[in-house]
Amino acid sequence: MAGPSLRPHVHWAQRHRELYLRVELSDVQNPDVAITDNVLHFRAQGHGAKGDNIYEFQIEFLEPVEPKPVCRVTQRQLNITVQKKESNWWERLTKQEKRPLFLAPDFDRWLDESDAEMELKEKEEEKINKMKIESRVPKDPFKHLKKGYLVMYNLVQFLGFSWIFVNMTVRLFILGKDSFYDTFHTIADMMYFCQTLALMEIVNSLIGLVRSPLIPAVMQIFGRNFILFVVLGSLEEMQSKPVVFFIFYFWSVIELFRYPYYMLSCIGIEWKPLTWLRYTAWIPLYPLGGLAEAVCIVQSIPIFSETGKFSLGLPNPLNVTIQFSFLLQIYLIALFLGVFVNFRHLYKQRKQHLGPKKRKMK
Amino acid sequence: FVSYQVEILDWKTKEQLCFLDKVEPNATIREIRLMFHKFYPRWYPARQSIKLDPKGKSLRDEEILQHLPVGTTATLYFKDLGPQIGWTTVFLIEYTGPLFIYFLFYFRMPFVYGLDERFTSSPHPVVNLACICHSFHYIKRLIETVFVHRFSHGTMPLRNIVKNCLYYWGFAAWLAYYINHPLYTPPSYGKKQINFAVIMFLLCEAGNFSIHVALSDLRRNGSKTRKIPYPTKNPFTWLFFFVSCPNYTYEVGTWISFTIMTQCVPVGLFTLLCFIQMTIWAKDKHCTYLREFKDYPSLRMPIIPFLL
Repeated sequence: MAGPSLRPHVHWAQRHRELYLRVELSDVQNPDVAITDNVLHFRAQGHGAKGDNIYEFQIEFLEPVEPKPVCRVTQRQLNITVQKKESNWWERLTKQEKRPLFLAPDFDRWLDESDAEMELKEKEEEKINKMKIESRVPKDPFKHLKKGYLVMYNLVQFLGFSWIFVNMTVRLFILGKDSFYDTFHTIADMMYFCQTLALMEIVNSLIGLVRSPLIPAVMQIFGRNFILFVVLGSLEEMQSKPVVFFIFYFWSVIELFRYPYYMLSCIGIEWKPLTWLRYTAWIPLYPLGGLAEAVCIVQSIPIFSETGKFSLGLPNPLNVTIQFSFLLQIYLIALFLGVFVNFRHLYKQRKQHLGPKKRKMK
Repeated sequence: FVSYQVEILDWKTKEQLCFLDKVEPNATIREIRLMFHKFYPRWYPARQSIKLDPKGKSLRDEEILQHLPVGTTATLYFKDLGPQIGWTTVFLIEYTGPLFIYFLFYFRMPFVYGLDERFTSSPHPVVNLACICHSFHYIKRLIETVFVHRFSHGTMPLRNIVKNCLYYWGFAAWLAYYINHPLYTPPSYGKKQINFAVIMFLLCEAGNFSIHVALSDLRRNGSKTRKIPYPTKNPFTWLFFFVSCPNYTYEVGTWISFTIMTQCVPVGLFTLLCFIQMTIWAKDKHCTYLREFKDYPSLRMPIIPFLL
């Protein structure tokens, strides 16, 4: 009974290096699979779409393949894996342009070229990661030196800001509201010192000594020093305004919690109340500080307009006009945006560090 | 002969927007876009993003249905890209603006420098020269847009034009204001500085034009495939030995020469921003070239020979 040969359903997929063929035949006993002259010959007895029969098909591959197909038989189907001779992405499986009717794409295993590339990349990355974990990281000989330096830095800053805070509080008690007006004259030198030293925080982040991200640190240091040196420092008129007191006070209270926390975490000690304070005190203090800075800028704008400080008018060889008061107005908008963005960032940080509270198991 | 059925779903809501019966297996995505357009006249083909996967890449017009990994009933996803505008139109609008805006300042319209200075002219010849150069630059760009450039993508989203126009027009106004100001100060090194700048300007404009012509010759017969550009007999194209995108190099050179010519900080700032933007584009293009062509010349850098 030699009828016309029956073809099984074959599904195919590819990767850069190999081809997968899935033959829909179950209960296959002794499949005859061979590749000669780049043509795959398949013949087997099994149960397929037309019942129990002998099924066979031939496929001439688009490009050269290795002549050793790997066959895996399961109860429900037959998987053939063929290696391509060259690592390439094929636009179709067969040499002929028209797709054979028994051949269809295998959606379960299908990837398009860019996804297959990504898969390869991910596999390579996994290998590299494994190698990294397995090779031991060499011990850092400067570890103690670095820790010592960080502890010293944080300690010095803490002492500086404590001096500022205590000084301002005492003067507040003794002089009352009058202390507002000459805050700058008494405190400025120490504040200059602390804020100049704070530039080290940028360096620390830059050279990787500290794990905190660079850009928020730069923005914070730049923002504060701008207010301190440019807006307040260069205008005598601003220095006797009460807003200076509030700015300095808010800054110092925030730092009173921040620096001890860093100091202790360098040595590896965690004091829970301090952690809580460090990650909670900023919630009222940070926006209030921002508000004080904004008030300061608003008060300084008319003075810069009048005196024309840091401003450049025509004619000049650079052929540009710079109006510092205008730049300050733009800075004001940037300040509000910055405080808003930073607030969200700090809130996320807080959630990370203080963790989810009370988990009640019922 | 199996005819396909194509259903098109919305990429987000997955509701069926359209069902196409009896589609030829060798139909291109372009034809499917046209058929979809018949159902939804407001979504013209340029605005349609047709993909195999809701989060995937948009399919190209040239792709053929039966070569895609789909069964005989294909499911495609549609995303509206928003109103589109052709590149030629965008460039024409972007470049005509600065041309005329500059004139408003050059001829000192009354609302610019006040009634006292209206319609006066500057005593400095360099101001006239700057106007000529600036106008020449944008007229050249307009001519190139109409006659020289061949674009690989047809359209871009409409909101881009607002962004781009604000940038080009705004900067043109800002720098024109200072160059044509009654209190303008000519360059510190006088004629030497100006002459040097003019020569550099002309060389860079010629170079830029040569590169654009060379690039457009690569696509002479309307093909959309990418090819490696090579230096030709024109000496200006010899920059191709060292750089992937010499048109950007020459463009930055043009603006540097204009800065030197006018000695004006706003021009310098514009030059800096141009340089940054073009470096980003050049690096992108350079990476694309490297990915697509295995035999890409290794001496070439993206925008500055040997450096960047």
